[in-house]
Amino acid sequence: MAERADDRLLRLLGIVAYLDGAGPVSVADLAGRFGTTPAQIQKDVDALWVSGTPGYWPDDLIDFDAASIDRGVVHLTEARGMTRPLRLGTREAVALVAALRAMKATDAVQADPARSAVVESALRKLTDATGEAASAVDVRLAPGGDKQVVAAISSALTNRHRLRIRYVTSSDVVSEREVDPVRLHTQDEFAYLAAWCYRAQAPRTFRVDRILEATETDVPVQAHPGQEPEIDFGALFAGGSSPLATIRFAPRARWFAEEVPVESVRNLPDGDFEVTLRVTNPGWLRSTLIRLAPLVRSVSPEILADDVAGAATAALALYGDGDGAGDGAGHGAGGVRDAATSADQH
Amino acid sequence: MSSDLPPTSSPTVPPGASSGTPSAQPPNQPPNQPAGPALNPAERLLNLVIALVNTNAAMTKQQVRTAVAGYSDAPSDEAFERMFERDKDMLRALGIPVVTVGTGGHTDELGYRIDQDAYALPSIDLTPAELGVLSLAAQFWQDKTLQTDITRAMVKLRAAGAGDPSADALAGLAPSVRAVGDAYGPLMEAIEARRVVTFSYRAAYNGAVLTRHVEPWRIAARDGGWYLMCFDRDRQAPRVFRMSRIESRVRVIGPANAYDVPEFDTDAMLGGGPHGEMRQAVVAVRPERASALRARAKAVPDGERTAYDARLARTTRSGAGSGAGEPAGWDILQVPYRSLTGMASEAAGYGAALVVLEPESVREETVRRLTAAAALGTRNVRAEVSRG
Repeated sequence: MAERADDRLLRLLGIVAYLDGAGPVSVADLAGRFGTTPAQIQKDVDALWVSGTPGYWPDDLIDFDAASIDRGVVHLTEARGMTRPLRLGTREAVALVAALRAMKATDAVQADPARSAVVESALRKLTDATGEAASAVDVRLAPGGDKQVVAAISSALTNRHRLRIRYVTSSDVVSEREVDPVRLHTQDEFAYLAAWCYRAQAPRTFRVDRILEATETDVPVQAHPGQEPEIDFGALFAGGSSPLATIRFAPRARWFAEEVPVESVRNLPDGDFEVTLRVTNPGWLRSTLIRLAPLVRSVSPEILADDVAGAATAALALYGDGDGAGDGAGHGAGGVRDAATSADQH
Repeated sequence: MSSDLPPTSSPTVPPGASSGTPSAQPPNQPPNQPAGPALNPAERLLNLVIALVNTNAAMTKQQVRTAVAGYSDAPSDEAFERMFERDKDMLRALGIPVVTVGTGGHTDELGYRIDQDAYALPSIDLTPAELGVLSLAAQFWQDKTLQTDITRAMVKLRAAGAGDPSADALAGLAPSVRAVGDAYGPLMEAIEARRVVTFSYRAAYNGAVLTRHVEPWRIAARDGGWYLMCFDRDRQAPRVFRMSRIESRVRVIGPANAYDVPEFDTDAMLGGGPHGEMRQAVVAVRPERASALRARAKAVPDGERTAYDARLARTTRSGAGSGAGEPAGWDILQVPYRSLTGMASEAAGYGAALVVLEPESVREETVRRLTAAAALGTRNVRAEVSRG
């Protein structure tokens, strides 16, 4: 609960500098501006009141109008020269500038001239005030997907209109849905649309690069009380009671353990590693293991290994005339279909 | 220079004797009384800043100790030294540099002051919409340490005036990047001060863990990963490290200004981004399948369709009898790609719903993946393959 001394000092100095320019301000407004409680503002004013230059005679101290305080208004009458707001530290500038540069480059901002103008001007004023430099951190967020799709989502969010989308799941199943868009989360790897889905009658998360088409309707979005769609990235992959699979990979596939939520990772002495994960989406896992197959040492349980091998064998049968290894392949295991999909997510 | 120093007998506010009532103007008290609880650190720092900003020239350490509220609490010389050094560091971290000057007296004692021009924020006139954009940056970072940096920046910017932030401009947008992790703090410190860092790192090609010594240049987030771009002292060459593979704490070692950071392009150094020229693959896809790939593909021109149908018939010949389908059951698409392995990986992932027709390089890479995947099965499946 104890606030850090440096954070409090910043606010104490900030209050004085702000009041010096702003004149009398209510305790509540100060609390809102500095992101704290009115009670804390009272404590801050009390602390300021007895602070000042050495000597600490009444004339040495920061001073407030006593009558105003009784009315819940903070009215600075003596700032002891502490009137200048603090410049941003390097780290602060780096964190802000890197975030704004990344935002500016997103399709969702680029799609709307008014949005890019405001991000652009905020960034310009910020770099004017902090100086160039801030290149120590460079973030690029995921491309949002199809430009027209992003533009439609972006516009529907602004106008609060329902969207009609065509969506393909990671198991390659296409569906048409109407959704009330709530938020576009652009992340470093993928962009996600959080929305209320009328087909599912529930909040759903859609990966934007899997939205094949999006059309803004003129139907206003509705309230869905208690069902605010929020992206729960844990839930996107959470397995619950799904069966476990264990896969042993060569070192070069390490990104798999880094980017796919797994139950556990075990580093083996020879540099290989073994992950255990919940199979929530067999179609996605089969496809991923085929893609990574040259780096996969073993898969268990057997039924999963056979599923992957069967799908690959059926595919190899289609490469009949090349130098490829498919010549000898015959009838693949028959069960190459999307056995299951983990619904609309991921 | 000691004009702003009180005689030791001057009245002093009892440390920590703050009171909520307006009548609580500081009463005259005997000097330097450790009355009441020790002044809390934020209030001590505040008094230090006010003193060092208002001093005519500079204050010596001894003057700080005797005159600035809070410092007389230090029970010993050592405790005072530690307190003062820590406070100076904290102020520097907040962007309030305490400068050291000679006092010009007969002693070689140093004086301290704070130059307000050095810490003042240049005037920055943010509109509510721009302030709203900056507020969004607070949610951009997942790391506590970066959130703290943003919160501090916002306190400073809010102190500079301007209205209340308006979130309308970017309504519904929530950009964010995944957590950098604990390495961020030491790496930023090292980049700012140009100091070397050391850490142990798990190599991707053989899984071995080795200790590295590097000169950090920049950290970057791309496609779901954080990367450290630096000069590797052990290899004597520029290197990129994937930060998730750093297995130890990152320790800052060695002196400041140990190297220069060259100008370079992040994507060029990562070898990522739009590199390689855009090429076209031609694939046959089952109807209604591979929709994500279809989204960026287009049908081959009518004039070329016949040739590709023939190509498809040739390649699927051995599988045709197994119900793999006649050419009429396929769509023939042109798909743009830059990365050979990326294209082959995507194609292989669709299994028997897709056949690569050309180029041969993508076919071979796809078949290589499928062959490896087919070999993952247990004996029963392999037997079936060899029988075929």
